[in-house]
Amino acid sequence: MSRQANRAGDPRKVNGELFTLTYGALVAQLIKDYENDEQVNKQLDKMGYNMGVRLIEDFLARANMGRCNDFRETADVIAKVAFKMYLGLTPVVSNWSAAGDEFSLLLESNPLTEFVELPSGHNNLNYSNLMCGVLRGALEMVQMDVDVRFVQDTLKGDNITEIRLKFNKRLEDAVPVGED
Amino acid sequence: MTIFTFYLFDRNGTCLYYAEWNRKKQLTMSKDEEFKLMYGMLFSIKSFASRLSPTDMKEGFLNFTTSKYKLHFFETPSGLKLILNTDLSVGNMKDVLQQIFSSIYVEYVVKNPLCQLDQPITSELFKYKLDEYVKSLSAFQTSKTAS
Amino acid sequence: MSSFGKQKPSNLEKPIGKGKPEVNIATFALLFSEIVQYCQNRVHTVPELQTKLSELGQHVGSHMLDVIFLREKGFKREIKLLSMLIFIKSTFWKIVFGKEADKLEQANDDDKTYYIIEKEPLVNKFISVPKDKGSLNCAAFTAGMLEAVLNGANFPAKVTVHWHKGTTFMIKFDESVITRDKTVDSR
Repeated sequence: MSRQANRAGDPRKVNGELFTLTYGALVAQLIKDYENDEQVNKQLDKMGYNMGVRLIEDFLARANMGRCNDFRETADVIAKVAFKMYLGLTPVVSNWSAAGDEFSLLLESNPLTEFVELPSGHNNLNYSNLMCGVLRGALEMVQMDVDVRFVQDTLKGDNITEIRLKFNKRLEDAVPVGED
Repeated sequence: MTIFTFYLFDRNGTCLYYAEWNRKKQLTMSKDEEFKLMYGMLFSIKSFASRLSPTDMKEGFLNFTTSKYKLHFFETPSGLKLILNTDLSVGNMKDVLQQIFSSIYVEYVVKNPLCQLDQPITSELFKYKLDEYVKSLSAFQTSKTAS
Repeated sequence: MSSFGKQKPSNLEKPIGKGKPEVNIATFALLFSEIVQYCQNRVHTVPELQTKLSELGQHVGSHMLDVIFLREKGFKREIKLLSMLIFIKSTFWKIVFGKEADKLEQANDDDKTYYIIEKEPLVNKFISVPKDKGSLNCAAFTAGMLEAVLNGANFPAKVTVHWHKGTTFMIKFDESVITRDKTVDSR
C-alpha cells in the first residue's frame, strides 16, 4: 500500500459546498425553466417530496427505530435525529399548538442557502422549498399526512428560518385488490 | 439448509422483485397471480395476527412454518415488505431481511435515480448484490453439502 | 416581501471560513437523483441529458472555483498547465469528492488532450444504468464542473465523459492554452 497521507475523508459524507452549490444550480435552472416563482416553489416541493419518499427508507435503514408513538416524538426525531443525520444541524422544536398537532422547526443556519442572495425580482420564491417537500414525503411514507411550509426565512430578511409542520391525519395501509 | 425464494412488495402491494434459488417445483399459476395471492395472504395474516394479540404488538407477524418450508416476513415502518422462504432448519432471518433492506435495497434502488420506487426493480446492480449476499449466507451455503 | 427594512448581514458578507460542515452522502445522492430525473424528463436523448447535466455542473464549478482558490491558495492562481491539472487531480478533487482522482494521463498522440480517470465517481456511486440507456454517464455533471473550473482559471477547455477504466474525463485544451504554456516554459 502507498502512504496514507492522502487518506480519503469519511465515505459517508460529502463536501457541504458541493451540496449547496448543486442545489443552487438546480434552483437557477428552475428559474430559467418556469415562468413564475409559484411554479418554481411547486416544482421544488415536488422534487423534495420525491427525495423524502426515498430519504425515509435510508433513514429507517440507518436509524433502526420503530414507529413513533405520537407527533411530539416525531418532532423530536425529525429535529434531533433526521436533521442531524442528513444536514448536520439540529433545529429547535418550538411553538407547539395547544392541540399538539402543529409545531415549528427553528433553524439558525440553513445549508441550502449558504452563499445565496435571493435573485432580484423573485420575492415570492421560497428558495428552500425543497425542504418542505422532503418532510412531507418522508412523513407520508410513515403514514402521516402533514402540511409543511416556511413561515420565516433569513433569506427574506427574517432573523431566523422557521418551518411549520401541521399534522392532518394518519394514513391507512393500502388494502390489496379484491379484499375489503 | 436452503433458501428457496425472495419477494419484495411495496406499500401498494406491487411486487418489486422476486428471486428464486432452490425452487424445484414449478408453479401451476402465473407469477403475477402468485404475487397477488402472496400479498393478500400476508395482508390478512398481519391484520388477523394483530387482532388476536392480547396486547398491542410492535412488530407483529414474523414468520410461519409448514411441514416443508418456513416463511420469514419483515416490514419496514414505510410499509415495504420483504419475504424469504427457506427450509425448516433455518433460524431467525429478521437480521438478514433487515440487511437486504438497508444495505442492498436502500443503497442500490432508493439512491439510484434511474429506479422508480413503485415499479418492479430492473437494476442489474441490485440483482447482483442480492444474489451475492444471499449466496454468502450460511443458511444458503450449507445447502450444497447437505443435499 | 415585508422585511426589506431589516438590516441583517447578508450571506455574501459572511466569512467563507474553513469550509462548510459536510452533509450526508445520502442527502446529496438523492438531490442529484432528482436533478437527473428532472433533466431526463425535459430531454429526449442520452447526449442531450448529458449536456444538461454538464451545464448544471458548470454552474457548480464556476462558483466552486472562487471558494476553493480563495481558501486554498489565497487568490493565487495556477499559471502552468501541468500544475493546474495536478491541482485539480489532487487538491480540488480531494476537497470536493473526499479523495484524489485515481489517475491523470496525457494522450500519446495529442499535446492538447489529457485524461483524468476515476474508477467510481461520486455521482455514479449509486447508479446502475439500465441496458436501454447503455451509454449514459451521469458524471457528465462532474465533467461540467471541471470545464467551468478550467475555463474560470483561464485554461479554456472542453471536458467530456467516457466509459473507460471506470469513468474517463477527456480534457481537450484550447490551442491558445498550449501555445501560452510553451511561452511560459521558455521564459
